[in-house]
Amino acid sequence: MLNFVVRRLLAMLPVLLAVSLLTFLIASLLPGDLALVILGDQATPENVAALRRDMGLDQPLWWRYLSWLGHVLQGDLGRSFRTGQTVLQAVAERIPVSLELMLMAEFIGLLIGVPVAIACAARAGGAFDRFMTGSAFAMLSMPSFLMAILLIYLFAVELHWLPATGYVPFTEEPLGNLRFFVLPALTLALAEWPGIMRVLRSDMIATLQEDYIALAKAKGLKPARILFVHALKPSSLTLVTVTGINIGRLLGGTLIVESIFALPGIGRLLVGAIYTRDLVILQGVVLLVACGFVIVNFIVDMLYAVLDPRIRHGRA
Amino acid sequence: MTKIAAAARKHAPIFLVAAFGILPLTEPAQAQKSGGSITVGQELDIPGFDPLKVGVYDTSTNTAAAAIFDTLTTLDDKGEPAPKLAVSWTHSDDYKSWTFKLREGVKFHDGTPFNAQAFKENFDRQKDPANKCRCAFYITNIKEVLAPDEHTVVFNLTDPSVNLPATITIQSQNNVVHSPTAWKTKGDDYNRNPVGTGPYILKSWTAGDRMVLEKNPNYWDKGRPYLDRIVLKPLPDAQSRFASLQSGEADIIWDDENDADNIMKAQKDPKLTVHTYKGSGAQVYAFNTKVAPFDDVRVRQALVMAIDRPKMSQAITNGLSRPATNPYGDGSWVKCKDDGALPFDVEKAKALIKDYGKPVEFKTLVTATPRGRMVGQVLQQFWKRVGANMEIEQVDQATIPSRAFTRQFQMTPWRIVDLADPDPQMYANFRTGSPLALAGYSNPELDKLLDHARVTADVGQRTEDYCAIGRLINKEAIWFWTFQNTYYALSSAKLKGFPKIYNGVIDVSTTWLE
Repeated sequence: MLNFVVRRLLAMLPVLLAVSLLTFLIASLLPGDLALVILGDQATPENVAALRRDMGLDQPLWWRYLSWLGHVLQGDLGRSFRTGQTVLQAVAERIPVSLELMLMAEFIGLLIGVPVAIACAARAGGAFDRFMTGSAFAMLSMPSFLMAILLIYLFAVELHWLPATGYVPFTEEPLGNLRFFVLPALTLALAEWPGIMRVLRSDMIATLQEDYIALAKAKGLKPARILFVHALKPSSLTLVTVTGINIGRLLGGTLIVESIFALPGIGRLLVGAIYTRDLVILQGVVLLVACGFVIVNFIVDMLYAVLDPRIRHGRA
Repeated sequence: MTKIAAAARKHAPIFLVAAFGILPLTEPAQAQKSGGSITVGQELDIPGFDPLKVGVYDTSTNTAAAAIFDTLTTLDDKGEPAPKLAVSWTHSDDYKSWTFKLREGVKFHDGTPFNAQAFKENFDRQKDPANKCRCAFYITNIKEVLAPDEHTVVFNLTDPSVNLPATITIQSQNNVVHSPTAWKTKGDDYNRNPVGTGPYILKSWTAGDRMVLEKNPNYWDKGRPYLDRIVLKPLPDAQSRFASLQSGEADIIWDDENDADNIMKAQKDPKLTVHTYKGSGAQVYAFNTKVAPFDDVRVRQALVMAIDRPKMSQAITNGLSRPATNPYGDGSWVKCKDDGALPFDVEKAKALIKDYGKPVEFKTLVTATPRGRMVGQVLQQFWKRVGANMEIEQVDQATIPSRAFTRQFQMTPWRIVDLADPDPQMYANFRTGSPLALAGYSNPELDKLLDHARVTADVGQRTEDYCAIGRLINKEAIWFWTFQNTYYALSSAKLKGFPKIYNGVIDVSTTWLE
């Protein structure tokens, strides 16, 4: 197992290096000159040239990349030219909000997706199965901004059950905090459960055709016991992967959802950085998020190995 | 619709005018109530307050600045300059020097006394070339600020300015007064820990979420402010910002014409109030008259005459945008009987293009936003109809000023902002040799009018000058105006005392809850 972990960790290095290069290029190749953005209205050609010199923007790209990477490796991701905050400060302030949102969304997604998948698999092809598979498609094709607005109008404007926008930290008011997260998490979860459901459903259907299930049935075990005890665990391998990948996808979703529900998370930080061309923040946040994604994938790989011994012995 | 209703509708503008007319009379009867808290839904995250860091304040920062800081002067309900931190002012005969007497006994929130020295330090810090402040661009016309005694401040200007007390009223990066002690002791942290003399004190600020302002118990204007607390929240999405107002989480929200549907919905909702202000200035376009085809006046005139502004307003803002025929706007004191606007006339435009004889093909800069693209496409259709081919060139918002200043454009969008006096912008935009005279057009007659208007004190005479300027620009079609600046805020009907939205600043520091 240790051998496997080390191998996987080493494999992450080139990935992380590629991630750093790509993030650097995104910010450098985007149209629009950082010097122009900073100078704004008083951007005369002389001012722009002077600032570019000061910031090293007149150096060749490879040199800028290496010097940036050098700083990053020392933990210096730069400072926003708009607010004077360092990238790490800005991210540290925002990350708890996004993590809470993503975990809650994933939790709600599983809460809907897993039972529906089991119920569908139990009677594959039945009326419930067909109805839920159809609904899953409908939900998948619904853009999250539309879902968000619909939920806001229903639960905040019409029914007054939940707040439309806003946030309080969990440490200040735990219940209030959860109230603010319900609608945004639900918005993300409603796009999340169809994937979970479809993956688990097809795996379960396959598992239910295995010989040992037939044996269990022959032994007269209760159908519920067969489903939850004998079929669920071996069918959930793909689900673990999907859940892992989803966390990366959810980050994309938070860009929209955090803006609509005015949650002060990473997504909002990123959108704000794009609007204001705050390239230092943009670069830093994308890099950190990408690294986070690589690490989540690593954890999923590890979980996989725990669930299925064939993988850690390199036989699958 | 009943006959009476129909009649009322027909005369609605008259009723509105009448209502505004009696407003100042009825206002004293409304008692201001103290206490309570409001939440303001803003468009953007506030980046901070230190001009050296943030450079230029955006609309959201202006709102917070109006509560935390004071300016020397303010605009009263008639748009005239009125005392704030300065109690009176005088000027030299040539309007190149202004002397302000400061209010005595005013203290910043940190206890630092507000005096002439403090004001001078604010100005010097922005002006100092070593500080490289982006804010310095806007005070280039002020040569120096002197503090001859504790309560006197003297502005020495490079050019005459007859209306300086009015132009320094906006709660902008240059005009609000910071505590020198605070920025010196806090250093980099000052940006997010602003200290002013204003009616509200910054209590707490969570990045990206909320800024809590609490009543300044020692405010110099006794009895004010009325509300105990103001909470400012960035709600970037227009739909959910409006939903927050409807569900009561926000008491007042920023809005603009892009959100026309919700503004119209709010107009019909008795629980909500639509605050709107018809400012001065306009959304404008400049032709580069140094390059073909715009070096020919016929082409410029043809393009202006081809624009159907009401239809354009309908297409982009559901009809809310108000067509502009001059650069001053309804909110300006410049009212022209005749501004010489070219009429909308497709046939005449076609004839002018035909007369020109060569194909009319050009590029227009637009911002790379959905709105920029849409406006570009609408103009493209109008011009296609009269035989001119326009290519849309989408660029980054930040690229437009630099392209404009270096004259790398054929046609560029621009804006004349809502200032209390037309002089600073008109002079910069049209005087021969000004770096901002984007059209590259020079006319001694125009220069004479601009020079005359800036040193004349008589309002009637200045109005005549500015109207003549408008007529000349319209006739020569070197710039054209699409829509006037209009500002919006939507609030709960319970919020009272909200002032005019001068320069688009949502100033809630004078409001109370009924």
